Amino acid sequence: MSLVSRALEEAGIPTVVLGAAKDIVEHVGVARFAFSDVPLGNSAGLPHDAESQRSALECALTLLETAPGPRTTWQTPLRWNGGDHEWKRDFNNLGQLDAEAIARQRASFEEQKARARGANA
Amino acid sequence: MAQTDSVKSPTGAADVTALDPARDGIPEPFLSQPIRYIDRTRAWYQALGYEPYRWPTFDTVPFQPLRKPLADSRLALITTAAPIRPDAGDQGPGAAYNGAAKFFEVYSSPVDDPADVRISHIGYDRHHSTAEDPNTWLPLPRLHEAIAAGRLGSLAPRFHGVPTLRSPRTTMSEHAPDIVARCQADDVDVALLVPV
Repeated sequence: MSLVSRALEEAGIPTVVLGAAKDIVEHVGVARFAFSDVPLGNSAGLPHDAESQRSALECALTLLETAPGPRTTWQTPLRWNGGDHEWKRDFNNLGQLDAEAIARQRASFEEQKARARGANA
Repeated sequence: MAQTDSVKSPTGAADVTALDPARDGIPEPFLSQPIRYIDRTRAWYQALGYEPYRWPTFDTVPFQPLRKPLADSRLALITTAAPIRPDAGDQGPGAAYNGAAKFFEVYSSPVDDPADVRISHIGYDRHHSTAEDPNTWLPLPRLHEAIAAGRLGSLAPRFHGVPTLRSPRTTMSEHAPDIVARCQADDVDVALLVPV
């Protein structure tokens, strides 16, 4: 998605990325990045919490208006579980991978790769 | 918790979330930092026996200043979520990772009658999130509110979906130019991209 942002900027369309993977978006490099420090899948706001969704969108819109230059990152006001960070322990936690899980992940990954190759052929 | 003494100070934070949390533990002060997804994903791929994915990086970043006030601007919304397909298995809240739900070409959907787009094809955080509320990845209702409030001028008539195929080359050569062309055809002034 960061690559799409870059292409739009190059085409003269200002962009803002509203995302949750801070290191990835900043590694690729985008013009404006509103970062939500929440589990992946929730960068536009907390589930069933319209007010939090408004606050994330407003952050992104204000960033569109005011960013002084490229690589401007702001953090949205979103807080997961009231600011408890325990959720960060679990994502892609190798300690939770047993042999069966590895085999399952590999099979799924191989299937995706095959499909992607077919689609790009 | 055997190796927590290798994490001594905030200056050691560079590697801390690359540690195996179950084996090494992560002291609370470091948990307040954003997850280092690149490090974790690299370790994950290696455990599965694959070469680590390499995200592209660039020396320069293009930047287009806003051309007119947001209240007069037309916005394009861009997502990585996928329209539900009846033939692709469970794609609803709490669905297991579902590679069959992936899509391979850019799509567009009308903002006034949007497709039901879901995220079962993406490695979102399934431990802590059930993907029940599409507003957490596709803020269409919130955007309509912003327009009603005069904060934003208008929405482009359709939003766009970008495939997530782990191929930066394909994204750059095919999907990104496709999105640009669709945004230009809709005469948009700004774009909001919400990656899952």
